[in-house]
Amino acid sequence: MKKLKIFKQGILEELPLQLGVFPFGVIYGVMAIESGLTPMQAFLMSSIIFGGASQIAFVQLISNTTPFGVIVTTVSAINSRHLLYSISMMEFLKNLSLKWRVILGYLLTDEAYAISIRRFINQPNTSFLHFHLLGTGITLFLSWQISTLTGVLLGGDLPQFLDLQFIIPLTFIAIIIPMIRSISTFLVVISSAFCGLIFKNLDISFWIIISGFIGVLVGIVSNKLDKKR
Amino acid sequence: MTWSLIILCGIITFLMRFIPLSGIISRELSPSTKNSFKYIPLAVLTPIIVNDLSIVENNNLFLIENYKLYAGIIAIIVAFITNNILATISLGMASYLLMSNFINI
Repeated sequence: MKKLKIFKQGILEELPLQLGVFPFGVIYGVMAIESGLTPMQAFLMSSIIFGGASQIAFVQLISNTTPFGVIVTTVSAINSRHLLYSISMMEFLKNLSLKWRVILGYLLTDEAYAISIRRFINQPNTSFLHFHLLGTGITLFLSWQISTLTGVLLGGDLPQFLDLQFIIPLTFIAIIIPMIRSISTFLVVISSAFCGLIFKNLDISFWIIISGFIGVLVGIVSNKLDKKR
Repeated sequence: MTWSLIILCGIITFLMRFIPLSGIISRELSPSTKNSFKYIPLAVLTPIIVNDLSIVENNNLFLIENYKLYAGIIAIIVAFITNNILATISLGMASYLLMSNFINI
């Protein structure tokens, strides 16, 4: 069956990334307990928020008795990039039922998006593409829950993982490099990289989404200029 | 209080992932708008990558003995040549581990 095949492909393509995601989840779990959250809060946050970097920021802030408004703003800022992911998936998922769109929206995080958007862009006319995102999303969801639970139960000192989390940016490199096919896409990468470096160091909490917007604008403008020539 | 904070953050995060898929935004977008969406993965994943390569640390450029940066460059070359995710991850990770464990200065 084609659906099952695409679903399995999603799972298989997402699996190598879990080597990088798993340590990240364990570290979150350990930090969450250290910060004073109950094991139940620490564990369930991984399914309620389901966003690694934002959860780590959450527990760091709460252990420093940060005002709640600041925590909500920080988590929203970190996860605001998912808005852009969702926009770029819109075209591929618009004809699905509401139930499907709710589930896939919930599962739309960095690592699932990165793997699936590659497939969506390369083979946009395949039917049942959404099963691919379901496969990558569920794989990531399960590994995030299991790794969080491991960290929560383990507690104590932060474990050393040989910097395995480095696999995550390496995977993103593997995904974006083949997407650079024109001058405009090249300029998108250069400009968003440059903005990312600057805005992150200016401590602007919405740095990723601002850099992303500027990158997309640069792409649109350079594409127009290129066509005019 | 902590529970309500977690739930509030969860709702906001979900809404940001779901609203564009909800159909609230006009479904008939111009072709040029749709075309610009193809830049999103590049424009969002690139800042995440450069941040993870620790090119700037404590407001200083960190270029010398930055093994993550070197391994990242190797990964970029491998990705360019092979267009293969597994090859890029394994060669990038192997070169990072080799550099960080065996270069003692």
